[in-house]
Amino acid sequence: MSPNSGEDLPNPAPAIESPTRAAEISQWLNSYIHLFGLRGKGTALILGLLAVAWISAGIYKVQPDEQGVVLLFGKWVDTTSSGLHYHLPYPFETVLLPKVTQVNQLQLGTPRLAATDTIADVSHERQMLTGDENIVEADCAVSWRIKDAGKFLFKVNNPEAALKIVAESALREIISRTPIQAAMSDKRQQVAEQTRALLQALLDKSDSGILVTQVQLQRVDPPGVVIDAFNDVQRARADQERTRNEAEAYANDIIPRARGEASHIGQESEAYKSQVINLAEGDAKSFQLIYASYAADKDVTAWRLYLESVDEMLKKATKVIIDTSGKGITGIVPYMPLAERDKPEAAKEPAK
Amino acid sequence: MSAKSRLVMGAAAFFLLWLLLTTLYTVSEVQQALIVRLGAPIGVVNEPGLKFKLPLVDSVIFYDRRLLTLEPAVEQVILGDQKRIEVRTYTRYRITDPLRFYTAVRTVELAEPQLAQLVSSSLRRELGQVALPSLLSEQRSNIVELIQREVADKAKDVGIEVVEVRFHRADLPLETSQAIYDRMTSERQREAKELRAQGFEWAQEIQAKADRERTVILSEAQRQAKITHGTADAEANQILSSAFGKDPQFYKLYRTLQTYRQALANAGPTIVLSPDTEFLRYFKTGPGTLTKH
Repeated sequence: MSPNSGEDLPNPAPAIESPTRAAEISQWLNSYIHLFGLRGKGTALILGLLAVAWISAGIYKVQPDEQGVVLLFGKWVDTTSSGLHYHLPYPFETVLLPKVTQVNQLQLGTPRLAATDTIADVSHERQMLTGDENIVEADCAVSWRIKDAGKFLFKVNNPEAALKIVAESALREIISRTPIQAAMSDKRQQVAEQTRALLQALLDKSDSGILVTQVQLQRVDPPGVVIDAFNDVQRARADQERTRNEAEAYANDIIPRARGEASHIGQESEAYKSQVINLAEGDAKSFQLIYASYAADKDVTAWRLYLESVDEMLKKATKVIIDTSGKGITGIVPYMPLAERDKPEAAKEPAK
Repeated sequence: MSAKSRLVMGAAAFFLLWLLLTTLYTVSEVQQALIVRLGAPIGVVNEPGLKFKLPLVDSVIFYDRRLLTLEPAVEQVILGDQKRIEVRTYTRYRITDPLRFYTAVRTVELAEPQLAQLVSSSLRRELGQVALPSLLSEQRSNIVELIQREVADKAKDVGIEVVEVRFHRADLPLETSQAIYDRMTSERQREAKELRAQGFEWAQEIQAKADRERTVILSEAQRQAKITHGTADAEANQILSSAFGKDPQFYKLYRTLQTYRQALANAGPTIVLSPDTEFLRYFKTGPGTLTKH
């Protein structure tokens, strides 16, 4: 494998080679020390030690979250699972150790910072058109892991950069089919799910060997300049609710009161009814009783009743008795002491 | 060993090493190689591994075998409805025919501008026929599909397989954003106004309904009360008249006497009496008439 092509590959390979190279160098030093101590047999010893160091450089360890991809002269010959393994030493075989179970996060929506970008450009960069020709700014996080190490390593140049571009494209495409209100509120989950599905389909189509485990829509906001208007809609919604609640409070206040009042009126009329009937019954009864007594001796009772009431009347009355034997009250004008009317007590005296 | 034979052996070893280095080369899993003999391409090596070539006359050109991504700069495109949009595309391609690629464009650096040009012209042609709303719909993928097919067709000639052409982004240019913002703002204002007015509507409705209900409840109660009053009075009349009806004559007397006794007496009246009244008969005549009577 030429050093040139080694640079093209993703980086796990040098990471595992460096400690074994350090061991190789220390072996070299050791062998020099031995050389000075043991003159004569030195060359053979050096060669032997070098050979041991070279051969042992092929030992490598695959971590539990990794997969070992063994290349013989650049050709993929073996895939090893976690544990200690051996490969033929450089320059025959090399090993790549991609982390296959690790879930990686990719943040979308962070603007590309080029020197020429102005603030407006940056903001413009993260904006996207919605299905109803509005503009939103959306961020999302993509969780992904390697599905197929071979494809991931060998099928796509710079798979992570490609993933970012494809993910952005997928998100924008889905947003471009969704109306703004839906994208901002009730369809968020759907947008995220559709983005994930589209992204996965695109990745599979290009043999990327990447599995998108989750797309999370983090922020979907209208652009800064119009955010006030959007917030006002929220406020209006709250106002609407408040107005209605107030009206309901009013209704809840007056209706029970009205019912109370109605019940009051009802009770009052019932009371009146009872009263009137009771009184009538009382009157009737008393009349009946009196009638019964009257019926026993009509003449006397009638006179007695008559005289009793005249008694009562005359007791309280200011009386003027005029004896007009000459029939009627013509001729003289009867004097009525109206001034005494207010003093019946004084007027009563001479009457008795 | 003589010095001469050492020299020969050394030279032989060097020669062998040189021969190895110039005849052997490796093709990695991500590469493909084109063998060029004296300037003329003669063969392609697709299989990775250790390979041989002739020294001096053969040279090897490596090409990437993986999927490559081309992302040209943003460009403004005029749509069918005269709206301008900013489009950024990306193209994913791989070199499938190194021989043709070598003769046509030679290097990736030289190929990319050409490919970008292909995409751009195809993009302008296709987008020139559609309106913005259709770009913001399911149709988008069809349009993209068309562009991809066109580009893929043409790129075949230079040994490139175009796997995918897509919009990275398609946005309105910054200059038209303000107009969109204004529209968005006015739309929101409309919505907010409507919401508030609707709240007022609801409130009015609820209040009026409550007021009506109150009036209904009260008037029903009053109606009932009136009926009850009437019933009570009627019943009382019934009771009284059935009692008094036994002897109306006596009732008149009895009731009149009650009035004399209560109402008239309590008023403290001044009474003018005629001695002719039956009541004053004895007052006038004395008890003499009693026997006669």
